[in-house]
Amino acid sequence: MNVIGIFLAASLTDNVLLMRFLGLCPFIGMSADVNKSVGMGLAVTFVMVMATAVTWPLYHFLLVPLELTFLQILVFILVIASLVQLVEFFLKKNVPSLYASMGIYLPLITTNCAILAVTFDNISKGYGLMESVVYAVGVAFGFLVAMVLMAGIRSRLRTAPVPKFLEGTPILFAATSLLATAFMGFSGLIK
Amino acid sequence: MQRLWKIFSKGIVYENPLLMLMIGLCSAVAVTSSVGNAVGMGGAMTFVIVFAELVISLFRKLIPNDARIPIFIIVIAAFTTIIDLSMKAYLPELSKSLGVFIPLIVVNCIIMGRVEAFASKEKPLDAVVDALGMGVGYTWVLVGIAAFRELLGNGTLMAAQVMPEAFQPILFFTLPPGGFMVFALFISFNIWLKKAMERRAAAPAKEAA
Amino acid sequence: MKKDILKLGLALALFAAGACVALAMVYAVTKPTIEGHEARNLEASLKEIFPEADAFESLNGELSADTAGVTVTGAWKASKGGATLGLAIRTLGKSYGGDAAMLVGVRTDRRLSGVRILTLSDTPGLGANATSPTYFVDKASKTTFPGQFKDKPVSDPFEVKNDVSAITASTITSKALTDMAKAAALAGSAWLEKAAAGGM
Repeated sequence: MNVIGIFLAASLTDNVLLMRFLGLCPFIGMSADVNKSVGMGLAVTFVMVMATAVTWPLYHFLLVPLELTFLQILVFILVIASLVQLVEFFLKKNVPSLYASMGIYLPLITTNCAILAVTFDNISKGYGLMESVVYAVGVAFGFLVAMVLMAGIRSRLRTAPVPKFLEGTPILFAATSLLATAFMGFSGLIK
Repeated sequence: MQRLWKIFSKGIVYENPLLMLMIGLCSAVAVTSSVGNAVGMGGAMTFVIVFAELVISLFRKLIPNDARIPIFIIVIAAFTTIIDLSMKAYLPELSKSLGVFIPLIVVNCIIMGRVEAFASKEKPLDAVVDALGMGVGYTWVLVGIAAFRELLGNGTLMAAQVMPEAFQPILFFTLPPGGFMVFALFISFNIWLKKAMERRAAAPAKEAA
Repeated sequence: MKKDILKLGLALALFAAGACVALAMVYAVTKPTIEGHEARNLEASLKEIFPEADAFESLNGELSADTAGVTVTGAWKASKGGATLGLAIRTLGKSYGGDAAMLVGVRTDRRLSGVRILTLSDTPGLGANATSPTYFVDKASKTTFPGQFKDKPVSDPFEVKNDVSAITASTITSKALTDMAKAAALAGSAWLEKAAAGGM
């Protein structure tokens, strides 16, 4: 399968946040600030790619031959949880400022639907290891782009007249709705 | 009994996980394009949260604090797998329709959140009632949004034609942007509802004062 | 300190073991039912493509698609009374809303016996009409989108707006499905040629 196609589809036409609704919690919680968005996006990218690199071989070389595919959910989520723990330790020691500013959202990466979804997608789409990694990078990139765009929109929203009934969280979702509409325009990109 | 009802009703409005606590959102917007999916998802999630809270509450004294997160994950993952396998076997159409969102129940923040905040500290009966409240709260919002989206976007409810033949479905609602927009309106509605209830609770106090 | 870690490890191991045992039991119970569904679905699809066939032999791995983006995920030789009727080829490709799977029947006369769309997750009301039994690309003859491929020669160009009628406002879906049908037709035809040459 062509690699560029996978990347484009994953980041734009099938954007994990705006088209598939995955990864919403950090999206709503952290997109208030462009720097935080980028930080979160990068952390998610790292975990997503590492998770793919670990779960793919685990599935194909351990679970399938031993007929333990029913342990997929259990094994995958534990791998992701462990990876996030590692990232936490690393950041705490080496980049304490980022660790502090991410706060509760760092351990919450474990429950980021997008990461688990990507590891499952790699299996259900029958991708090889290389394709899986490209897919993961594409999805993470799409996540990052959506987060940063949202951060930009939110900074404008702070000074814009919002109808009373949409104040607070509702306007965020309404804005997301418009952003999603824009992304739907990408669907013609992949032939 | 009063106490149990209070625990149960929390999840329906005041601490509704989706609308008030704003957790567990991912699946909410994705599966609400049809009422059938919403009911299936709500049911599956309720199954997992009830059993997860039950088991963790039963074993709460035996779970060492430092290892609690991995253990919670193991328990939740186990029950998610059970419902996933069961649905694949006995409800294959629904399972295919919901796709990856069933396995994704394992990362549903609602379950993890309740287990940590409630089940690990309370008695089993309370935990089960809390889980049921959260499950019902989750399901009613899902079904509400789905009804709106399916009715206006497809003219059907549970795949049965409800709107008259002449009705042109507004496709927007079944697509992602429509989902977000409807969700925005639902949150707005719930905020209004919460404020109205608070006003009513505050009024007699004001009169007394 | 060491005793604490042992205690943690033990608790984790016990829970993990308990979970695995429970899951293994549930799996053992549900596995036959799940596999039964898949087998029955496949058989029903194969029968729809080749209704006269009385036997289907799997030719797994013997065919591959030459078109980018389409993969052959299964192939079966349909036969009646030992005589080959043709090949049923299952392809997987990318459509508008995600992956699509399709079963294509290629007869020995180098015409398609039919096309059945197995999975499609495109937009309801638009691309999803490909699987609707009431959506017709040709209202006069009441032909559905997959229905138009019946008896189609493999040598046709398989192009939307040329020899294939598209679904209104769903060019991407129409093209994707047509490409998959074409890939299957070519792969099947090539296999049949080889088989005929080899005197099977």
